[in-house]
Amino acid sequence: MVEILASQVISGLATGCVYALVALGFVLIFKATDVVNFAQGEFVMASGFISYTLLIWYGLPYWGVFFITIVLSGFMGVALERVVVRPIMSAPIFSIVIATIGASTVMRSTAGIVYGYDVLPLPTIFSKDPIRLGVVTFTIMDVGVIGFSILIMLVLYLFFKWTKTGMAMRATAQSQTAAQLMGVSVKQIFSLTWAISAGIGGIAGVLIAPIIYLDPNLGVIGIKAFAGAILGGFGSIPGAIVGGMLLGVLENLSGYFFNAGIKQVSTYILLILVLIIRPNGLFGAVAIKKV
Amino acid sequence: MNRWLNGCVALLTVATLWLMSGVAPTWAEVGVTDKEIVVGAGLDLTGAVANWGVNIKAGMEAVFNRVNEAGGVHGRKIKLISYDHVYQPPKAVANAKRLVERDKVFIMMGHLGTPTTKAIKEYLEERQVPNIFPATLASLWATSGKWHVGDLATYADQTWLIIDYLVKERKLTKIASFYQDDEYGLDGHLAGKARLKQYGLDYIAEVDYKRADIDFSSQAAKLKESGAEAVILQAVYREPPRLAEQCHAIGYDPLFIGPSPIVLDKTIELGGKHVEGVIGVEVYPLPTDPGPFMDQYRADMQKYFPNLALDTTNLYGYQKAALFVELLQRTGRDLTRETLLQTVTTIKDWDPGWGLKYSYGGDDRRVMSRSARLVIVKDGKWTKMTDWFEVEEAKR
Repeated sequence: MVEILASQVISGLATGCVYALVALGFVLIFKATDVVNFAQGEFVMASGFISYTLLIWYGLPYWGVFFITIVLSGFMGVALERVVVRPIMSAPIFSIVIATIGASTVMRSTAGIVYGYDVLPLPTIFSKDPIRLGVVTFTIMDVGVIGFSILIMLVLYLFFKWTKTGMAMRATAQSQTAAQLMGVSVKQIFSLTWAISAGIGGIAGVLIAPIIYLDPNLGVIGIKAFAGAILGGFGSIPGAIVGGMLLGVLENLSGYFFNAGIKQVSTYILLILVLIIRPNGLFGAVAIKKV
Repeated sequence: MNRWLNGCVALLTVATLWLMSGVAPTWAEVGVTDKEIVVGAGLDLTGAVANWGVNIKAGMEAVFNRVNEAGGVHGRKIKLISYDHVYQPPKAVANAKRLVERDKVFIMMGHLGTPTTKAIKEYLEERQVPNIFPATLASLWATSGKWHVGDLATYADQTWLIIDYLVKERKLTKIASFYQDDEYGLDGHLAGKARLKQYGLDYIAEVDYKRADIDFSSQAAKLKESGAEAVILQAVYREPPRLAEQCHAIGYDPLFIGPSPIVLDKTIELGGKHVEGVIGVEVYPLPTDPGPFMDQYRADMQKYFPNLALDTTNLYGYQKAALFVELLQRTGRDLTRETLLQTVTTIKDWDPGWGLKYSYGGDDRRVMSRSARLVIVKDGKWTKMTDWFEVEEAKR
């Protein structure tokens, strides 16, 4: 029983890390631009297909594909920002959100047209063979996903804390006007934010596609990740990470203790419960605007 | 001048309404004209079982194209209109209405999916549109009355075959069921339970999943905990590879066995080494089997769909269409829904040229075949494991 529980927690953490990365993408864009980007899930899906194309159609080596995919995802993010978001930047936030939903539909259909709607297996260098360590059984894939995710989060943390660009991004998130007055090019920061978010989505895609097979509807993971971000407190970066991981683990455990039906809705039950008890999410803080 | 203009507009409106009210070409029967028969199909072309849907459509079109090129059946060409329901019952209902009311199809042909076909069942009965050889082998269609006709051995029949094999041949007693939580999964699942009861046994674990689910780690955990030696998979093609993989990832390696929807190349493509040794039930031959009918199948697929690989999926649609063409042939020129359904009852011991026979099973079993055999994944290919059986009719 303990063994089973332990392996459930570990695989839940692995999926949770992917949710966390996607949630992070949501929060970064939101903090900088107040926009909720509903195409975030599709960045994950698109990167899955890009890596598929590079791996299978062009036969490139795995690590090369990994990095090229992330870079291409970043470009996709910038493209989306320039083409869809920037022209309507002065519109109400809701309109911009709808535009991102539209973009997500376009991306999904494009993937369907190019690759078909059939499910595709994506190979990975991380083996899925089981390893036993005491009471715990896990796979290298789990370790790889968790390890990489933590690495990325660390890199981002260091980036935001110690680099000038990172600080500029934090400044823009706090107050666009003040940042502009300090000489920060807000337009560039926006593009960079979108690039980083899409890049993170890209990493999530490369990590998760081999686990759950590739198909154009993969983007629904964005909804789960969004719930994870709200859970952790939308607007809080550690919140997004904790929320995502918590979601992954709790999903698995609810599937184990209850049944498949409960597992599917566990995300939303959890969300409702947390929001009732703590309306701002686990780490969210009430923003007090002083006039 | 104004009154004249008003009069013209009024006349025009009336004329348009009259034309739109369906002053249709003279049809002896809906969907049948002097030169054409229009059949409809609701398929999953982009959803969870798209591999089946796309291929079933191709298989049916291959037959219809060939027949049409030779002049049709009794001078009528067959036209197939299909819509995508993405394996979602509400969409299936909307599409069925479109096919019946707007496209005025003669019959519903090869409609894919048990939950999706079940959703349109009453609508078709109400509209008196025959549901011919739906692409779902649920036992439901065998006993649903006049308007529904199935073609092959049902999931219930197949699960009985599976249980008999596991208990009598392999002498196993710890059998678990992994099933899709809807009418599709429940058909085989409940039939299996009834058969096990006849042996004085029961499932050692019953683990379900929701249609279109993609993660089964909790189900794998529960199955491992139960200690099941064999797991019956009432699933399609995305679930068995994933489940097998996740079971192996926690160090659990049972025998996996399931009914016909799991027997296709996609299962092997997705599962790789994890599905080696998986056993499936087949109710029609493998695409590589011999026979004049099979040669014709291979030739037609090569001609009309050279980019599609030969697979059990397109053969499934192909044989449905071939059986339908035989029905049309026998019914003759006086083609109505009633005469077609009447012809169904006349089919006895008809072998299209592949060594298996179709026979109408009677009013209590409106299905045309009892043939089934076991196949196994060996060296990455579905391979024949047993000879053909005539299955006993299963009761849930």
